[in-house]
Amino acid sequence: MNTLRRTASLLLAAAFSLGLSAGARAQQKPEGITIGYLNLVNAQLVTKALGLHEKSGVPIKWVKFGSGGDMNRAVAANQVDFGGVGNPPFTLGATRALPYKGIFVLNMLGPVESLAVRSDKNIKSLKDLAGKTAAAPFGSTTHYLFIAALKEAGVNPTDVKLIDLSPSDAVAAWLRKDIDAAWIWEPNLDKIVKNGGEIFLTSGEMAKRGYPTWDVGVVMNDFAAKYPAQVVAYVKAECEGIDYWLKHPKETVDIIAKELSLPPDDAARMMQGTTIVPCPEQLTKDYLGTPGQIGQFADTALATATFLKDQGRLPTVLDRAGYAAFIDPSYLAKALGK
Amino acid sequence: MSAVETAPEHASSPVRPRLLPARLRAALPRTRLLTALTAATLFALWWLAAHYAWVNPLFLPSPRTVWDAFVRTATVGYQGSLLHEHLIASLYRVLAGYSLACLVGIPLGIVMGLSRDVKAVFDPVIEFYRPLPPLALYTLIVMWLGIGDASKIAILFLAALPPLTISSMQAAASVDPRYVKAAKSLGANSRQLFRHVFLPACLPGICTGMRISLGFTYTVLVAAEIVAATAGLGWMIWDASKFLLGDIVIMGLFVLAFTGMALDFLIRLTERALTPWRFR
Repeated sequence: MNTLRRTASLLLAAAFSLGLSAGARAQQKPEGITIGYLNLVNAQLVTKALGLHEKSGVPIKWVKFGSGGDMNRAVAANQVDFGGVGNPPFTLGATRALPYKGIFVLNMLGPVESLAVRSDKNIKSLKDLAGKTAAAPFGSTTHYLFIAALKEAGVNPTDVKLIDLSPSDAVAAWLRKDIDAAWIWEPNLDKIVKNGGEIFLTSGEMAKRGYPTWDVGVVMNDFAAKYPAQVVAYVKAECEGIDYWLKHPKETVDIIAKELSLPPDDAARMMQGTTIVPCPEQLTKDYLGTPGQIGQFADTALATATFLKDQGRLPTVLDRAGYAAFIDPSYLAKALGK
Repeated sequence: MSAVETAPEHASSPVRPRLLPARLRAALPRTRLLTALTAATLFALWWLAAHYAWVNPLFLPSPRTVWDAFVRTATVGYQGSLLHEHLIASLYRVLAGYSLACLVGIPLGIVMGLSRDVKAVFDPVIEFYRPLPPLALYTLIVMWLGIGDASKIAILFLAALPPLTISSMQAAASVDPRYVKAAKSLGANSRQLFRHVFLPACLPGICTGMRISLGFTYTVLVAAEIVAATAGLGWMIWDASKFLLGDIVIMGLFVLAFTGMALDFLIRLTERALTPWRFR
């Protein structure tokens, strides 16, 4: 039904725009915005809970996605206006020319994503995983890190029976003792730790070893071309949420707990596990960079693409400039008045 | 796709002309021509749409790209398994689930058709789960049976069962009582009654149920292989779609369609062997 309405509104918009100048068109407000958000802990939950986007007066529809892979499919089918993806789905999307751009940093992944192993299996190093069954959602940040970590430890990734499970399925498989290790994210990670698991390696440690992983907020190109002012307003609202997260940790705990139906203690722990980058800092070389000079995100994308190509899951790899073209910090710069 | 689906109707046509009058026989080549035309038109449309990039090539890769994906998967493989290994993994699951369902569903259906008491016992169970979406059921089955082949075969079994049971039940219930009476008055014992009256009378209905059931089982294959498979056609399609590999997805769909048609053809051959009087 959404697609139908979308098509109808697109047709309407197209017909309408014929009679209007380009300038007047840019002023127009969309009839509604669909935001796809990821089922994980970051400041977007604060933005959502506080209704910061709704302040612009445009009706907002929130759609929850379990992983960036699902989000990519929704993007490919043009079902969202804004979304969020981790670096592997983002890289995949960029390489396959999905019509979106990364416009702000949702979060940098720390211990909120971790490799948990079964405590009683005496796993002391990654080498001990050989011959064991381990799970990660394929195509996600953790799948990327899992293979990277195995390779770094000198373990042939094919020696580990790595299977594709969504975080919630991984918990079910863990409880049944079908798997001995899983690299997934909160809130499901905690269920594994509480049922005979222990954290072995975190995504934060991998970042320190040169494998940063992140989730980036994206906007669809069509939407951005039609409503640039709305995109700036969107980023501004997200920055408000980020500020709130940074300045009011206590209230944020309650918000996260409520949004994800968790005890406050769990929410607090998860917040510790993820790094929210203040908006002005996002425009530095460690993150998005500036409109003329795209920062480290382009390097991560390139590294991720190389990994996916090695995996036989990407036919080609773009160069750094190719990935930089999919990162557009200009809306954030405008939102910050730069 | 519809071109592919209409094809099986004609796969059996070579045997039919014998029982058709000359006028109809003359018309047959025309129907076959029309079928070929449908296939050719669809293919041409596909080629044109891809060639002139009417649609994003991510969603609709060109026939050439899909063919290349086929050759690549058949020779190099996709994610560690060659195409025929994916096919065998899937066929094993489908046939295991389906055969189990035949073994359970057909006798159960016949007994349900003959006895109202038995029907009253089992009918609510089948009617309860039949409308449930397989994927919803699957999450529960994974929790019970784990992530291995057992849960995959179980979901395929559950998908295959209702059409088999229901059609067998109806076939058994609609056996003409006059046949039974006639056989009894001629002194048939219950074993002879079953072998010479019930079974032949039920077989056509059962065969139809078997065909519908197999088709339905096949549609559940992708859902069954989403969780923790590392090989299988359904898994290959699912995995490729995650990585936006449209060529692999479409190639996989073709392989699924053709193997599905081949299986259906096999069942119809069996049908002809078991109920020859219907084709004479």
